[in-house]
Amino acid sequence: MNKVIIIHLNGIAYQLEEDGYEALRAYLDSASRRLEGNPDRDEIIADIEHSIADKFRGVLSANKTVVMTREVQDVIAEMGPVQDDAPAAAAPGRTASGGPAGPAAGSMPPPPAGGGSAPKRLFRIREGAKIGGVCNGLAAYFGADVTLVRVLFAIVGISFGAGILLYVALMIIVPWAETPADIAAAHGDPSTTDEIIRRAKEGYYAGLRSFRDPANRRQWKKQFKREMRQHRREFRDTMRRNLHDWRQQWHHHWNPDHPAHAGWWVAYPLLGLLSAVVSIVCVASVLSLILTGSIFGILLPFTFPFWLQIVFVILVFRLISWPLKAMRYGYYSNGPYYPHPFAHLLHTVVWLGVLVFGVWLLDRHSPQAHEVLIRCRHEFHEFLAQVRDWWARQ
Amino acid sequence: MSINDNFPAIRKGLLEFLVLKIVAAEKVYVANILAQLSGTEFATQEGTLYPLLSKMRREELVDYEWKESEAGPPRKYYLLTAKGREQLRETNDYWQKISETVKSLGQVPAENSK
Repeated sequence: MNKVIIIHLNGIAYQLEEDGYEALRAYLDSASRRLEGNPDRDEIIADIEHSIADKFRGVLSANKTVVMTREVQDVIAEMGPVQDDAPAAAAPGRTASGGPAGPAAGSMPPPPAGGGSAPKRLFRIREGAKIGGVCNGLAAYFGADVTLVRVLFAIVGISFGAGILLYVALMIIVPWAETPADIAAAHGDPSTTDEIIRRAKEGYYAGLRSFRDPANRRQWKKQFKREMRQHRREFRDTMRRNLHDWRQQWHHHWNPDHPAHAGWWVAYPLLGLLSAVVSIVCVASVLSLILTGSIFGILLPFTFPFWLQIVFVILVFRLISWPLKAMRYGYYSNGPYYPHPFAHLLHTVVWLGVLVFGVWLLDRHSPQAHEVLIRCRHEFHEFLAQVRDWWARQ
Repeated sequence: MSINDNFPAIRKGLLEFLVLKIVAAEKVYVANILAQLSGTEFATQEGTLYPLLSKMRREELVDYEWKESEAGPPRKYYLLTAKGREQLRETNDYWQKISETVKSLGQVPAENSK
């Protein structure tokens, strides 16, 4: 059972579902805010209410007296964001942070709901989406350039498979922004801090103008400055607290006081070497998949879309290297050199040296190994040539 | 990116001109204007149109009168003022000039390059 709210539009009563009412109120509030300073604001709002009422009448009948939330959202979508042509309404900050999301953002209303402090919500945004609109939504949520978010995601996805899992999880969890209200909520205010500052300044100057008496004006100024200071201080404190918490968690996680394992100096660099090999094979497989559509001649046994195959390969390699990494981190935190940042670099170099020496020995003293190595080199050259070709074709 | 995304400013700027044209032909209310624009490159919504119309009325390009509708409450019908007609004529001329320019520019070099 849903609560119904009765509203008056142009003197006629309509019954709306509660959520629908909220959406409508948010729309009208935002319209009224966007028309701030427009001499005809009240008239335009009345026109808009009039038109909404017309549309509501369209969905009602003798047997249906309540306007559903869905229908309210449809009507709002049909009305479109209220756009004032006055230059002041040209959404500040939008062009600066829009980036490739610009076309999507440009036609959308930034401030969604009343009060000016509408909470942003995370949505997936279909316009300009590449895969699932997750990066698009995140970019809108954080007010960042969508390309930057994509690059970050790609880096995280490749270097830690978790990025891909995260993307898939977000794709499942985060809803699409279906209505303009959703899209508005996804973008939030043009830029929350900018908006706060703008408002504060507006209030500040309006206050200044209204105080003819200098003493009064001074007092107003002082109060304004005090409020701004306090606001900044609170913000800084919150940031500091968050950073502190985060650091403590990190420390707690990575710095347990355990005695060193025996064999640490063998196991740790060896594991490092192994996971490096796995990583190299992973990159080579992905490249081979991109170039030839198969992994070194082995076709994947299913008909996934191409990008999903790449994701699959990376995931598989992540699964393989995960225990290696886990063991390695275990050794890392338990090693005698733990605090020394170059310890593991040194060991990797030593082990690489050992490996190169081993290969060199094999090459000299075993004809079979020599042959294999020659063939490997040949294959590698061919592979590189393929990569170069592919790149040239792009 | 479609070609449409390249010209939001042009579409926005031309909207007033088109509304003038539509209003010049007959007395219309907002739903008429929207219907005529829908399906064109200039399809728009009430949220854009009402503020635009109110601006045009402030500039005395259009005026409106209330008219009873067959069903429901009265509607605002918009009509062109003398000033609006003048503006429409000027804009029309200007538009002709622009489209001439667009057509004529680049003709000669294009043939040279062949």
